[in-house]
Amino acid sequence: MQTSLDVQYIVELLPILLKYLGVTMEMALWGFFFALILAVVLAVIKVFKVPLVHQAAGLFISFFRGTPLLVQLFLLYYGLPHYIPALAGMDAFTAAVIGLSLHFAAYMAESIRGAILGIDKSQMEACLSIGMTRLQGMFRIILPQASRVATPSLMNYFIDMIKSTSLAFTLGVAEIMAKAQMEAASSFKFFESFLAVALIYWAVVVFFTRIQHIVETRLNKAY
Amino acid sequence: MITVQNLSKSFGQNQVLKDISFEVNAGEIVVIIGPSGTGKSTLLRCLNYLETPTSGSVEIGTAKVDAACATNKQISSLRKQSSFVFQNYSLFANKNALQNVAESLITVWKEPKKAALEHAQTILKQVGLADKADQYPSQLSGGQQQRVGIARAMASKGEVILFDEPTSALDPEWVEEVLVVMKELARQKQTMIVVTHEMQFAKEVADKVIFMEGGHIVETGTAKQIFDNPEHNRTKAFVARAAKNALTSFDSSML
Repeated sequence: MQTSLDVQYIVELLPILLKYLGVTMEMALWGFFFALILAVVLAVIKVFKVPLVHQAAGLFISFFRGTPLLVQLFLLYYGLPHYIPALAGMDAFTAAVIGLSLHFAAYMAESIRGAILGIDKSQMEACLSIGMTRLQGMFRIILPQASRVATPSLMNYFIDMIKSTSLAFTLGVAEIMAKAQMEAASSFKFFESFLAVALIYWAVVVFFTRIQHIVETRLNKAY
Repeated sequence: MITVQNLSKSFGQNQVLKDISFEVNAGEIVVIIGPSGTGKSTLLRCLNYLETPTSGSVEIGTAKVDAACATNKQISSLRKQSSFVFQNYSLFANKNALQNVAESLITVWKEPKKAALEHAQTILKQVGLADKADQYPSQLSGGQQQRVGIARAMASKGEVILFDEPTSALDPEWVEEVLVVMKELARQKQTMIVVTHEMQFAKEVADKVIFMEGGHIVETGTAKQIFDNPEHNRTKAFVARAAKNALTSFDSSML
């Protein structure tokens, strides 16, 4: 049992953990990419109140916002393959990306929907008045304006998603949290190991928060 | 060319348009006048289904839509026959002046992008804004924005341009530059339906003036008939009041 903090151990552990940061970031980036596409589709369906699909979208959003991400990941990876054999071959990384995408899409859809509703309705009227369809108006005029409004909250979700990838270790994905867990178990230096991984997450989040500020300043200048 | 038959519109219990019928020929300039809240703007918005009429039919060029059995396809072809100039301009905020004008050419009329932008530039020139092509709406004055709005409407190849109080939101100093553009369009025999409070404009350019009150068309006639020799008492009262207002504002501008 050590009594004082083993700084030396942390310093040596950091480069070992950093090797696994790639997997973490890959999960976050793929997850965010798919979540964004799905979120835009869900938001547009909800705004246009597309019959039937609209209710399905509402149910989807309600479920994925109403249950914990960890439960969703377990359902997807350990539960569903029993009933859908096609999913049995799915690796843990893919399951984590899918789970993160679905979960965050539900949240992001709501913030995109809010941004769309915040755009003055005369913008859509102007689209219709020159003969555009509602879908053309949505993708060429409304969404570009809404994306500016939604960007700060979407970037918050991205940062949140980076941290949430740590749950993927419960599925057996060899990412940064899993490595920290393994190192802790073999060295018994639990505090140092988890502190090291915390520091890495923190640094990554600070980095992306910086980027967020730069993006926001750029966007405010655009028009 | 434009035929409106028995058009009615209700918002809940409130009937805003009551059995409106009129016709507009190609090249005609029709000005709709009347007190505020009499359904003039609603009528205009019904003509291209920005508002859905409760009943009646609208026919513009080759497109005809009956409220009783309107399909999306009919509505979309009706909208291509007309274009709209909004009171608050409603320019696309994320597009510059040139892109605003070119948008319908690219998206609706499928012109190649380069040709569309050149085409749009010619139209911008006609409204005197060739040098503002790359400015965003937020960088333009009200008068300039409305002229871009008119250019956008001109570009969308409709048979008729519908103007919904195009100068009402403008500072007085910018009204004239917008009216000049509209008069030029009138001179070119562009079919227009204009809802406005600019009586002088109506007198100068209107081939036909429609006086509306309480959701009805009270009287239709030439500008001369309506302003100099109105038949109905309601029209007389409105025209007299408008003339008096014009005089007062003239007086105050003299001071």
